[in-house]
Amino acid sequence: MKRKLVLLSVAAVAGSLSVACGGGGATASGAFDPATCQGGTLTVLNQRDQTHLDPARLYTSGGGNIPSLLFRTLTTRTRAGGQEGTKVAPDLATNTGEPSDDAKTWTYHLRDGLKFDDGSPITAQDVKYGIERSFSPELPGGAPYLRDWLVGAADYKGVYAQPEGIAAIETPDERTIVFRLRKPQGDFPYLATATQFSPVPKAKDTGTNYENKPVSSGPYRIEKYEKNKDLLLVRNEHWSRSVDPNRLGCPDRIEIHSGLNAAVINQRIAGGAGADANAVTTDTQLGPDELARLDGDPELAKRVAKGNFPYTWYLSFNTTKAPFDNPKVRQAFTHAVNRQAVVNAAGGSSLAYPATTFLPEQESMGFRKYDFYPAGATGDPEKAKQLLAEAGFPNGVEVTLAHSTHSGEGDGPEVAAALQDAYKRAGITVRLQGIDSASYSTTIANPATQPQIAISGWGADWPSGGPFLTPVFDGRQILASGGNFNLAHHDDPAINAEIDEITRITDPKQAAKRWGELDEKLGQKALVVTLFHGKDAALTGKNVKNAFVSDWTGKYDLTALSVK
Amino acid sequence: MLPYLTRRVVGAALVLLALSVVVFAIFYLLPGDPAQLVCGIKTCSADRLALVRQKLGLDQPVAVQYWQFLTGLVVGRDVSAGPNVFHCPAPCLGFSFQTDEPVLALIADRLPVSLSLTAGAMVLWLSIGVGGGVLSALRRGRFIDRATTVFVLGGMSIPVFISGLLLLMVFCVWLQWLPFPSYVSLASDPAGWARSLVLPWFALALVEAAKYARLTRTSMLETLSEDHIRTARAYGLRERRVIGRHALRGALTPLATMLAVDVGGVLTSASLTETLFGLPGLGQLLVQSVNTLDLPVVVGLVLLAGFAIVVGNVVADLVYAVLDRRVSLT
Amino acid sequence: MGAQVGTAQVGTAGVGTTEAGPPPVRSARAVWRRVVADRPAVFGMVFAGLAVLVALAAPLLTMLEGQDPVTFHPELVDSARGGVPLGSFGGVSADHWLGVEPQTGRDLFARTVYGARISLLVAVGAAVVQVGLGVLLGLAAGLGGRWLDNALGRLTDLVIAFPSLIFSVALLAIVPDSFPRPLLLMLIMGMFGWGGTARIVRGQVLSLRSRDHVAAARLAGATPTRVAFREILPGVVAPVLSYAAILLPSNMISEAGLSFLGVGVRPPTPSWGQMLSKATTWFRGDPLYVLVPATLLFLTVLSFSLLADGLRTALDPRATGVARRAE
Repeated sequence: MKRKLVLLSVAAVAGSLSVACGGGGATASGAFDPATCQGGTLTVLNQRDQTHLDPARLYTSGGGNIPSLLFRTLTTRTRAGGQEGTKVAPDLATNTGEPSDDAKTWTYHLRDGLKFDDGSPITAQDVKYGIERSFSPELPGGAPYLRDWLVGAADYKGVYAQPEGIAAIETPDERTIVFRLRKPQGDFPYLATATQFSPVPKAKDTGTNYENKPVSSGPYRIEKYEKNKDLLLVRNEHWSRSVDPNRLGCPDRIEIHSGLNAAVINQRIAGGAGADANAVTTDTQLGPDELARLDGDPELAKRVAKGNFPYTWYLSFNTTKAPFDNPKVRQAFTHAVNRQAVVNAAGGSSLAYPATTFLPEQESMGFRKYDFYPAGATGDPEKAKQLLAEAGFPNGVEVTLAHSTHSGEGDGPEVAAALQDAYKRAGITVRLQGIDSASYSTTIANPATQPQIAISGWGADWPSGGPFLTPVFDGRQILASGGNFNLAHHDDPAINAEIDEITRITDPKQAAKRWGELDEKLGQKALVVTLFHGKDAALTGKNVKNAFVSDWTGKYDLTALSVK
Repeated sequence: MLPYLTRRVVGAALVLLALSVVVFAIFYLLPGDPAQLVCGIKTCSADRLALVRQKLGLDQPVAVQYWQFLTGLVVGRDVSAGPNVFHCPAPCLGFSFQTDEPVLALIADRLPVSLSLTAGAMVLWLSIGVGGGVLSALRRGRFIDRATTVFVLGGMSIPVFISGLLLLMVFCVWLQWLPFPSYVSLASDPAGWARSLVLPWFALALVEAAKYARLTRTSMLETLSEDHIRTARAYGLRERRVIGRHALRGALTPLATMLAVDVGGVLTSASLTETLFGLPGLGQLLVQSVNTLDLPVVVGLVLLAGFAIVVGNVVADLVYAVLDRRVSLT
Repeated sequence: MGAQVGTAQVGTAGVGTTEAGPPPVRSARAVWRRVVADRPAVFGMVFAGLAVLVALAAPLLTMLEGQDPVTFHPELVDSARGGVPLGSFGGVSADHWLGVEPQTGRDLFARTVYGARISLLVAVGAAVVQVGLGVLLGLAAGLGGRWLDNALGRLTDLVIAFPSLIFSVALLAIVPDSFPRPLLLMLIMGMFGWGGTARIVRGQVLSLRSRDHVAAARLAGATPTRVAFREILPGVVAPVLSYAAILLPSNMISEAGLSFLGVGVRPPTPSWGQMLSKATTWFRGDPLYVLVPATLLFLTVLSFSLLADGLRTALDPRATGVARRAE
């Protein structure tokens, strides 16, 4: 708790000072000062490359950490630690959006003086083109929401096949863009943080090749890009803090090296030799070797940035099929779970915490504490046995549990083995069925191949209860042909109506409260067995400053870090 | 010689063709949907999935896909990508599903790492293995022979991921003489390159050196007991000359043969070492591609590995024939 | 597979031991006498025997300890420190003779002895497939016509040239889990490992074919199958046996390698290779977790190699054993 407060205050200072650039030359080494933070080279050591550096092909999460250095979007996440960092901030736009017509129309105005890295001005048409581009089948991977939300966009095949574009995105002038939606969507400002909302100049579009040299609108531009290896960024001279209140852009250069292994990354940042003193990582958690060492090494412990990316791991089953159509069986499975063993299998209490609610413990998500079918820390097999007997299974049940074969993941074999062991004590025989990690999610999400029980994970596309609860519990989201996330096959008209009602709310605080209440209602029905929520812990190099972690991303923010 | 060579090359080509059929059949027919992975689980509607499948060519029968693969290999092929069309020149192994890059480029990118690993290790294992073997044969029954014997048995019984782990524990954790290896390219920093590879080299070389020491010892002993060596000795030639000129050359033939085969097997033998030390080589690329169902890359790597081994075997036979005049290739 | 499987295969492939004539067949008693006179081989035999015993008696041993290989003990690890075992030496105690596994707290002794089962089972099973296939195809090549011999020769080339490790990794990752894992490992290793045996058998057959007793049986009107199994097969037993003995340790290494790459047996079934692959991230926090399976795997492979070497020398008087001190 104390830590979080510290983070918040640091973040607040950073936020207030970020606009005032080029103040007096205070050179107090040690403390971070945004006015004098410029200079040096930040090194990023990663396991995986971005894979696709095309704004159309990147997924949401507020534009991601590295993309946010290059691509500005209509709105963005507030660059601050903790809960403050879960708020939407205007980016290219002057505000987070003006709703009208019951939140079915959203209007944005662009700031003055916005330029691409070639000096040409950024227009509303460029933003519209970027969005329409992301509908092209040649450029898969972006967030899918707009296809469903925009009027008449469901069958749009992208700018190459249908250059006329989407009528529901209007650009009355060069600085204004209007979105017309089919239904009220109070969360539209959150969606507008997705990378597909970043401008792409039509003249520079080279299709699938665009990702090799995308045009930048952010504080850096690409000097050199070798896929899966190096991405070297230098300052974009056409960007300045005066047109961007969110990004600090302290280092002169940012070098991103990928294709490294997790142990190597952690060892190098911990060791901090040479350029590694300025190193960070955006995709690597602390390994067991580092965690085991933290107690005896306060210097290292100080360099651990901890955070909470909203993510929930749970057991999913089809509640319309026996034996899980019986609420008593589902409750028994909840009582019997040993969350302590599961948390340990997932990396221990530094990387995970037990979950009794579906929503992670965050205010912005609308978290409300509940635990209707308590299992204690290590499970209540007696209660489970009793419920199973009441449900007509006095001799226990036998089920098949699917898991990914990818070791070390939340849905991996270690967690599966922990569950198997816990359920044995309650008279439940669990057979494990490993599915290779490449086809695991697809298998689970297709009702034709959905296993009896599976370890499933769900992360928020933005920090609000809507994208967390809707795909998983809204009855109208059951998809028979695959890509189904309502694994419980839960369809309750009352719940569906309530979801529609909350979706209209444009005030995030008020919406959060309602999502929390909804989560509690769903929890009472025992539709899933929640296992644990993920925690994040990553190292920073010895020289790295201003590494606050927001509850939106769970990671420190590359646009705020300084190495000076 | 020439007819023999032609026959071997044609045979090798046939072996590779058979290999490609087997690999293609197995991987393209097994369950798992690469298109879904490319499209994203969360982001893909059914019709968009169909479009992606079409783009990857997965909507066509496997036989057609195989035919396209073969023609691409021989004459290159065109791949449409958004508004423009790319030409992938022969030999075209196709495009990675995941990164849209030509498979050949991906492989070329990783090859230097695997080559660095093997070349350095080879220098080590040849010097340790052949040296140990020669000494052991000459000092038969003495201490050095017994020591070599112990080394050979130990080396051959210790899997490379165990020797590597032990080296890491001793040199990086306990003694802290070396940083945790993290690959640096030879061109950018030669000293760093050597430092980053020294442990992997030793780990890999230990196993191989044992093999070579054993072979050297056996063939040296065999040649030393042969008539012309005895004759040479009887004629009063100096011992060093006997060994250098005659005995060692006799042992050279099987050694060169084994080396040619081993070099062909580079990709195979290095993959465990690469995985353990996190070296971004071909072995790591394979594991990654398997995990993401990046079939064109998997097929390309398996074929490349087969190609290297087949070529290695042909070279081994040639070396054998050239060095050992008793064999005539017809 | 990997560098080391190559040893068994390439050793015979590249360097011509194959065309040598059949060694004089020794009586079983003579072989035994020679083996027990060979000190390293005796060590190998004793330790390998011990490993087999441990594997067979795994349930008994764990019962004696009072533990089993699958029960989690979350109370025995430090959750805040990534799940490192509480207590010194990885949590060694009277209840847990070798300590517990990090993160899960499962008993390491139980997992180790059960792990021996998988290692040995897969190695033996794969050797059976390899030898079975090798003998059949070798006999067919040696006794069949020129065409069949050529075709099988190419096939053998293909198998020996096959990038088997790479292919196995790919295949094992993709075959559904419903197929029993140990069996799959045996089959895949068997499928790629019969080349050496086939070559040896073919060579033996070619030289045996012209022998008098074979010719006599043919003249007496014995069917080709009868000739193959009654007259030829006994002659190939000795070389095949000595070769099979080398296959065992090399198979153990292969299984460990595949498990190390994460495509071997599935949890919660323990195997040494799989334990080692998890241990790679723990060599700082819990060294014992690395050393136990590493040492055991090494010693077991070593003793099987020593035994194989002794057997080979005992069976073939011309071979000079590596382990035997020269007289």
